[in-house]
Amino acid sequence: MGTSARPEPVTPGAAGAPSAPSAPSAARAAGARGARSGYDAIVIGAGLNGLTTAAYLARGGMRVLVLERRDIVGGSAVTEEFAPGFRCDTARHDVGWIPLRIIRDLGLNDRHGLRLVSWAGEVVAPTRDGDFLLLHGIAERTADALRRFSPADAGRWPAFAARVTKLAGFLERVYAGPAPQVDSSSLTDLARLLRLGLGLRGLGRKDMVEFLRSATMSVAEFLDDAFECDALKGVLGAQGVTHLCQGPRAGGTAFVYLHHQVGRYPGAFRTTLFPLGAIGELARALADAARAAGAEVRTGAAVTRIAMRDARASGVVLASGEEIAARRVVSSADPRQTFLALCDPALLEPDFVRAVRNIRYRGVWAKVNLALAELPRIPGLPADGKSAGSVVISPSLDYLERAYDHAKYGRVSEHPYLDARLPTLTDPSLAPKGRHVMSVHVQYAPYHLRGGAWDDAARDALGDRVVATLGEYAPDLPGKVLHRQVLTPLDLEREFSLPEGHAYHGEMTLDQILWMRPVPECSRHGTPVRGLFLCGSGTHPGGGIAGGAGAGAARAILNGG
Amino acid sequence: MAPRYDAIVIGGGHNGLVNAAYLARAGRRVVVLERRDRVGGAAVSEQIFPGFTYSVYSYVVSLLRPEIIRDLDLPRHGLHILPLESTVTPMLNGDHLAQWGDHDQSRRELHRHSPRDADAYDEYGRLMQWMAQAVKPILSMIPPDPASLSPRDLLGLLRFARHLRGIGGVKLHALHKLMTMSSADFLDEWFETDVLKATKSASGVIGTFLGPRSPGTAYVLLHHYMGEIDGVFRAWGFAKGGTGGVSEAIAGAARAAGAEIRTSAGVTKVLVRGGRAMGVVLENGDEIAAPIVVSGLDPRLTFLGLLEPDVLPPDFADAIRRFKFRGSSGKVNLALGELPRFTCLESVGDARGPALSLRALRGAISISPSVDHIERAYDDAKYGEFSRAPYMDVVIPSMIDPGMAPPGKHVMSIFVQYAPYKLNGGWTDAKREAFGDAVIETLSRFAPNIRSAILHRQVITPADIERVTGLSEGNIFAGELSLHQLFFFRPAHAWSRYRTPVGGYFQCGSGTHPGGGIMGANGRLAALEILRSA
Repeated sequence: MGTSARPEPVTPGAAGAPSAPSAPSAARAAGARGARSGYDAIVIGAGLNGLTTAAYLARGGMRVLVLERRDIVGGSAVTEEFAPGFRCDTARHDVGWIPLRIIRDLGLNDRHGLRLVSWAGEVVAPTRDGDFLLLHGIAERTADALRRFSPADAGRWPAFAARVTKLAGFLERVYAGPAPQVDSSSLTDLARLLRLGLGLRGLGRKDMVEFLRSATMSVAEFLDDAFECDALKGVLGAQGVTHLCQGPRAGGTAFVYLHHQVGRYPGAFRTTLFPLGAIGELARALADAARAAGAEVRTGAAVTRIAMRDARASGVVLASGEEIAARRVVSSADPRQTFLALCDPALLEPDFVRAVRNIRYRGVWAKVNLALAELPRIPGLPADGKSAGSVVISPSLDYLERAYDHAKYGRVSEHPYLDARLPTLTDPSLAPKGRHVMSVHVQYAPYHLRGGAWDDAARDALGDRVVATLGEYAPDLPGKVLHRQVLTPLDLEREFSLPEGHAYHGEMTLDQILWMRPVPECSRHGTPVRGLFLCGSGTHPGGGIAGGAGAGAARAILNGG
Repeated sequence: MAPRYDAIVIGGGHNGLVNAAYLARAGRRVVVLERRDRVGGAAVSEQIFPGFTYSVYSYVVSLLRPEIIRDLDLPRHGLHILPLESTVTPMLNGDHLAQWGDHDQSRRELHRHSPRDADAYDEYGRLMQWMAQAVKPILSMIPPDPASLSPRDLLGLLRFARHLRGIGGVKLHALHKLMTMSSADFLDEWFETDVLKATKSASGVIGTFLGPRSPGTAYVLLHHYMGEIDGVFRAWGFAKGGTGGVSEAIAGAARAAGAEIRTSAGVTKVLVRGGRAMGVVLENGDEIAAPIVVSGLDPRLTFLGLLEPDVLPPDFADAIRRFKFRGSSGKVNLALGELPRFTCLESVGDARGPALSLRALRGAISISPSVDHIERAYDDAKYGEFSRAPYMDVVIPSMIDPGMAPPGKHVMSIFVQYAPYKLNGGWTDAKREAFGDAVIETLSRFAPNIRSAILHRQVITPADIERVTGLSEGNIFAGELSLHQLFFFRPAHAWSRYRTPVGGYFQCGSGTHPGGGIMGANGRLAALEILRSA
């Protein structure tokens, strides 16, 4: 088994979510429940963030209703049957960092049956000449694997891993609290900025400078400064462009790389806590936690409109026409849908509407799920299947850059970057005996196609291209495909409410983070509409942090929203 | 025996000359040592072809700091800047987009392309002018060190923070976006006219190895507005007699203040004893002693070229090694027997046609018909080739300074991007000519008579820039102008304030804050720092 439970999982600098709400605010909310009927809060959408918000609010004594359009909770983190007898994480197979604080606060593992493992994290990165690079959760082992490619890089790896851990650790601290404000003159914010500044200083002079310098660099420059091995830079660089419509040579991609390292184990590559089995388990446990705290979770209940009364959000209207009143509405939908579709934009300031329209989404990924007759032979993947089952096709920075070139001009990459997982290696119950499932994150498949549309032909062509690309590295794979499900960016938008197919509800770029996310007015989860809050990954701290935005929103609401 | 000089300035580029002039004005005995037989560095005028004067490398005077013009009384020393008032972009469909010095006129022209954009143009202009005003003081600010705990740095940081906070929420957010976005994305938020976005974003990629869609290219959009807010259009223009005229004027001011300028005096080494600079060694073996040595060369030459490897702290040497140059531009200078005829201007049917054409040729012609054009030009360079259809900034100095060419004839200066220093297979004579051919081929699509008008052609690759001017990798700004190489990172953290780890050794070139362009601020700020300390 590639997964191995570590005896004492430790997340560096453990943080990322509020502690249980303070007693006074809980009492206040509970008092309100006793005195008045109806819901204290309606949460739109039962994705990981919506459920997290609901669970925290319910634990804070609020009467909470979660409304989910689909018949299953989890949003884009769901495990579903995609072919008869085959299940997998249909949309996202990696939700990034699951803050330990949330798991503990909500009792996800001890009370709600979430079995967490530290995913040992071997990543197999095949190269174009049939060789492969193996990245491991333990820095020394990765260094060993690198030696064959570049003794110099092998020597540099442990120090690099340690440096990245430090830099990501700083981001983790920033993400643990509300977005800092740069324009407010209130003393609290000033103090927080100061603390943040001191935190930055606390990194050590060298690290702080390194962080400031690195954040605006391209991931290619960042890696070129450290390494020479193309295969290594390719697989690392891919993290700098994941869910981003940029290539690895674009400025600011080093920040995206660091963002994706937040919450990782020291010295590890992409290793973090992971739910045993499939990702849907996490949503299940969160929903259980929310219900246990008193929240109601209704599926098959699509919200079409946020109701307004006396210039404040007063509830929601469902597709069925049913209207449900509540004192607050918390939307985990993305900002554009929340303000321009669920609200009446005419009631909002034109400048605000313009800012919302200017949020960049630009989804660039697609998902291909394959039902396989048997395990394909992939270089680096042991024949007995004793592996974490993670394969990344991104053999060099040039490969990634060329993949992006196509997307830049509105086309699907001819040779896409693929992040493939074989979840059946760790949880055989996902497929009939002896059979396997491969879940493939595909990039770049731009939502905005130039001179074309995401129709059936385009979807099939995408599926063909992905299978063919995999076939270049695992020649027997195409012959083993029994079924395939292809989700284009348009499908992801329609099925999972991901705007323009963007998994993070907006690119995680330097101009769309912290006090800028999603727009300055909403960076602390409140909105210009009284009684309406945002809790989705379009808000601070953004995508790739399971429940991070949801927990932050709950804290903002319990502290007086 | 006491040294003859208080200070030696290595390199007679515009920053070295400004530095020397300020030091001399303060009563210091200064000598400037220039390797070439003329001063100016990359700001030189030369008659490569008889009768025709080329501004060989740098060709427009942008952002020359007004305080320097005043302090050094440069007009008295011959500085005469002729205004460059328009930019015309030929389009592939035969139309064009013109931007004039006059805001209203630009707005009317833009209205022709998009009424919506013309409306946005006013608001955009206001915001940019405002932001330029907010950023401008930073150009004259000696960068504080964010990691230092010294009172001076904390005070500097506080001043910097107060300056930023004084800007206020809405504009601070706009500034945040400008500093972190790509120029294409930033302009997308305002405009729909592609050719407008292309021309504006082109200025964001100059001197970088980035395309217009890469984050970090938007802030250069401000530069355009910095020239305008003073109401001093002279801030953007040609120097009479070519760019060398600027260098000559500054050199004149330096001499007048008592500085000595020696050409054909290349420095090979800075002498260091006990951690202090003692003087320099010339190519001919002569030694010149002085307690202060100032380098106007780029950071790589300043630290890795002129010093023994062991005098620098290893961390600092590493930082300099990582400093990015990545020259990405070249230059083509042409002697023309007749004016180019741009189809897009000739074809304007009404009576305005000929006048418009003449007026346009007095300004810049930007070969940036679409954002994709520039982006594709960048794509070639990413993979180690010069752009097959490059972005070009074309000016005809002889239109406003007739002395640059014989009567009826003209000189044309073509700035070309992208031409990577690290060309696949390296730059050869054949590659240089192929590069020149690509430039002429691209230009001839818009001005078909260009080929037959050429009397002489000079093609300059980044390798040539490096060989002749010394600029590492041919980077015209002595180091890429990317965010992580600006302000307190230029050229390296903790050493952004013109000092170096070697006592008495200072830096004053474009590789320091606030960067490149014929700004002169580096030379001046370095002089102030030297005078403060010595």
